Amino acid sequence: MSIETLAPPTLGFDLSQDQQLIKESIRDFVEQRVAPTVMERDESCEFPHDIVSELADMNMLGIYHDEKYGGAGFDTVSFAIVLEEIARWDASLALTVASHTSLCSAHIALAGNEEQKMKYLSQLTTGEKLGAWALTEPGSGSDASNMKTTAVRDGDNWILNGAKIFITQGSVGGIFVVLAVTDREQGAKGVTAFILEEGMKGFSHGPKLKKLGMNSSDTCEIYMEDVVVPAENQLGELGHGFIDTMKILDGGRIGIGSIAVGIARGAFEESKKYAMERSQFGRPIGQNQAIQWKIVDMGVNIDAARLLVQRAAWLKDNDRPYTKEASMAKLFSSEMCTQACLEAIQIHGGYGYTKEYHVERFLRDAKLLEIGEGTSEVQRMVLARQLIK
Amino acid sequence: MKLSVCIKQVPDVSAPISIKDGTLSQDSDRMVLDAYSASAVEEALVLTEKHGGEVQVVLVGPEKAKETIRKALAMGAASGVHIQVDDISGLDSSAFAEILAAWHKKSEYDAILTGKQSQDTDAGLTGGMLAWSLELPFAANAVGLEFENGSFIVKRQGDSGQEMVELKAPCLITCSNDMNDPRIPSLKGIMQSKRKPVETVTPADLGVDIASLSSDSKTERTGFKEVPGREPGKKFEGEAEEMVSNLMNLLENEAKVL
Repeated sequence: MSIETLAPPTLGFDLSQDQQLIKESIRDFVEQRVAPTVMERDESCEFPHDIVSELADMNMLGIYHDEKYGGAGFDTVSFAIVLEEIARWDASLALTVASHTSLCSAHIALAGNEEQKMKYLSQLTTGEKLGAWALTEPGSGSDASNMKTTAVRDGDNWILNGAKIFITQGSVGGIFVVLAVTDREQGAKGVTAFILEEGMKGFSHGPKLKKLGMNSSDTCEIYMEDVVVPAENQLGELGHGFIDTMKILDGGRIGIGSIAVGIARGAFEESKKYAMERSQFGRPIGQNQAIQWKIVDMGVNIDAARLLVQRAAWLKDNDRPYTKEASMAKLFSSEMCTQACLEAIQIHGGYGYTKEYHVERFLRDAKLLEIGEGTSEVQRMVLARQLIK
Repeated sequence: MKLSVCIKQVPDVSAPISIKDGTLSQDSDRMVLDAYSASAVEEALVLTEKHGGEVQVVLVGPEKAKETIRKALAMGAASGVHIQVDDISGLDSSAFAEILAAWHKKSEYDAILTGKQSQDTDAGLTGGMLAWSLELPFAANAVGLEFENGSFIVKRQGDSGQEMVELKAPCLITCSNDMNDPRIPSLKGIMQSKRKPVETVTPADLGVDIASLSSDSKTERTGFKEVPGREPGKKFEGEAEEMVSNLMNLLENEAKVL
């Protein structure tokens, strides 16, 4: 048997040259354009239109979408790398890119027909419009069968009524994917997705929600009062909205996991730096074993989380099932991230509790990741179904 | 206009380095495009965007250095030349200049741009030596560059001010990193860089004997030493009169500045 006929190796940890270049590019961009002003944005809660537009110019708003629809045509591993690098400094911005790309745009890429992809996906990948994805309602989160928003067929149109909450890009978005009940009798199989556009009559949003963290990410309620949506804006098959949503959430969890790895890396790097600068009792606190062990544990957990996230991304890129792996990555990364941020504040002592340092923001931002796109408890429910059969 | 930019792959300045028994040890995985080379690429791209033409990058280095050529292509350079030398550790500035001169003798260009030095050795000699080998008009430490009526107008930083120098094409200009902010490659730039041509040649193809270049090197590296830490300053204690007297004594007899 010649060597060529042997199966190629299937386990490897090297980034490709593309992925390495992407990592360098986004890191340079974040260090030059994002990091210097992140504290101001956290304070002002203002959405960074200028930075998002620069990210669009770098094709970062359609990383893994098809080049035919204006995307950059790279893979989910690259997407995970980009989110980690952005979240290292600014998790709000990473959340914007993640929700735009892996929720709204990904749903249109998954379920949309050719016309819808040409019309809507192309505007999203180029950043001409920002995307929002509307599933959660005031009365229903992961229990989507309790959804109250309805869509009723009226000739060539659908009439949508209802309210959605915690919608990322709710006030700055131009294109919305909205889930609505089209057949109450069918339960989860009676939910359908629709594409709505900003400015449609009866479609409005509430004020920006005041939150613990993720301050410069745009979050608000959206309202639909007799919104007339053309039938051609039905996204995917009738009654398939919830089925598609489950697939979208799988992909979304890779994004959340990546953001968690990014914030935790920030906590780790800032702690390392501070521990070597801060001297007590005549030597840097980083020379004390108590501090070293905290930093070491952070480093180990970050690596473990990144491997889980990149494994899920790699499976998705290779068209393999990844529901379980994405859920594991999201659960582990988000919980380890909060712990890393708590330890980072502990290492920084009193200074870590002030807004003079980054670590208190990291903690506030991190907490969302244990909640958004399925709480840790929901992840354990999903995993129990997968692991205990 | 055809601009040839000589670029170099250097260790990431943020990567840790250590010196043991006079030998330098660094993480050879973390290699990047030299910052001065990046400024030269940026300046060349700006000029060709304004006046038409294309940018070719030329690099001497091992196989791994191809990734740095790709970075320059992702920034916007049209093509790359990889002069493959697996071990560049024995090459000094003069050797690099000789290899680059051999390539440029066979190619056409309106100007060659290089960094004024590179971040690894900071020697700052290759550009000048290359200009001498090719008998080209030369300006060093450029902070601005324009092209008018077939000539390159170089604004260069001198010790006491800036001067404007006009060089007739073909010429050679070495670029300061104060010249510009090199662009960050976009994802589309990275995607397109895969489809751009990179020609690989060996020194032998250019008639250069790499073994003798190394063995007949004009410089000999004797070893590396850590920069010694700063010694703590002297602290005076006691009455003011006594302290002033001590200080005057040291300034006069030890530092000998009075």
